[in-house]
Amino acid sequence: MPENKGEKIVVKKRGNALGFWFFRGVFRIFGLRAAYSFLYLVCLHYLLFDRQATQGALAYIKRRFPGKNFLSARLQVYRLFISQGQQLIDRYAAVSGHAAFDVQVVGMEQLDELLRQRSGGFILLTAHVGNWQIALTTLKNLNRKVHLVMRPEDNPAVERSLNISRPDDFIRVISPEAELDGVIQIMNALKAGDIVSIMGDRKYGFDGLAVDFLGDKAYLPYGAFTIAAAADCPVVVLLTSRLAYKKYLVDVRNVFNPRYQNVPRHPRPDVSADGNRPVGPARVSKREELRGFVQAFAVVLDKYTQEYPYQCFLFSDIWKK
Amino acid sequence: MDEMQEKELAAIRKKLKELLVTSLSLEDIKPEEIKDDEILFGEGLGLDSLDAVEIVVLLQRNFDLDVKNMNEGKKIFYSVDTLARYILENKKK
Repeated sequence: MPENKGEKIVVKKRGNALGFWFFRGVFRIFGLRAAYSFLYLVCLHYLLFDRQATQGALAYIKRRFPGKNFLSARLQVYRLFISQGQQLIDRYAAVSGHAAFDVQVVGMEQLDELLRQRSGGFILLTAHVGNWQIALTTLKNLNRKVHLVMRPEDNPAVERSLNISRPDDFIRVISPEAELDGVIQIMNALKAGDIVSIMGDRKYGFDGLAVDFLGDKAYLPYGAFTIAAAADCPVVVLLTSRLAYKKYLVDVRNVFNPRYQNVPRHPRPDVSADGNRPVGPARVSKREELRGFVQAFAVVLDKYTQEYPYQCFLFSDIWKK
Repeated sequence: MDEMQEKELAAIRKKLKELLVTSLSLEDIKPEEIKDDEILFGEGLGLDSLDAVEIVVLLQRNFDLDVKNMNEGKKIFYSVDTLARYILENKKK
């Protein structure tokens, strides 16, 4: 993934130990619904005082609900914050084992069949939609190690939410900042038949490709598809949605097999297509083919947001280059 | 390094350059134009981590080799020469 050297994204972490302790306590003593009820106040605080979170959410809300006025758009943001709060509480409740959830999985038979047919692993493409951590725990049934590609600063929160603590846990972490070493780890994991989980909607300072998403050009990363095309492995999109109280749906029906079809064999000109070095027709063609794969993923996300508008937690302006 | 190994190393370098040109679609660069010690990533040949993925596969498919030691990735992928030496030292007998 070519780095955009000028861009170093720092994502502000929200919530603190006291806040987590409070919600955990309310949940353990009074139950899920009681914990949910405090969200209305907490989310109002974020709506009024956390400008970064609100602006980030508005980038999505304005495109998902075009034409909303100032107040109405912020009401949608408030609803989105509450929805995310509920899913965070659910995640803790599920992973800690203090509440049972009805998790339906669609596409698992197809995934099982795919795994039976091949010796290598696959890429699990996730996004900031729904409660992907709850979905990951259901993948234990596949009896494969899962490698999460995520930044070191995200580790504590995700490790806590997934209850990863021992080195022999089925979930491991690969840092995208490890560059070449990260690439090597990913390729070795795929060769060993493991699952490599990559976020498909955040560039985290890396290069992205412009694709149509919610009626506008969004910039999404393409690393997952580059790796899949090179390693000859499938990309399985993981979507989760909260259907009702204590009820989730995990959808792994969307499977892509990205392969380059049309890399021309002729000289490249001395032009700089997107930045630092000459990029000729062959490499441009590769990028265009990659754009097609990323676009297909964007279509899946678009459809998801139409169905579950308040479960898209993209608190970052992915439409800004 | 004896003469035999030097010859083998030269052959690996030559093959690597050819594979880099074809696998990475570097059609305007001839294999012989790539210097043995030319830096592959960033400056030099200007490859990026997108290309690193292809090189890992190239090593697996053509030399039956995996880079196991993650900490050495940067050293091994530094140039054609470092890659060739890694292949020579680690190739399966």
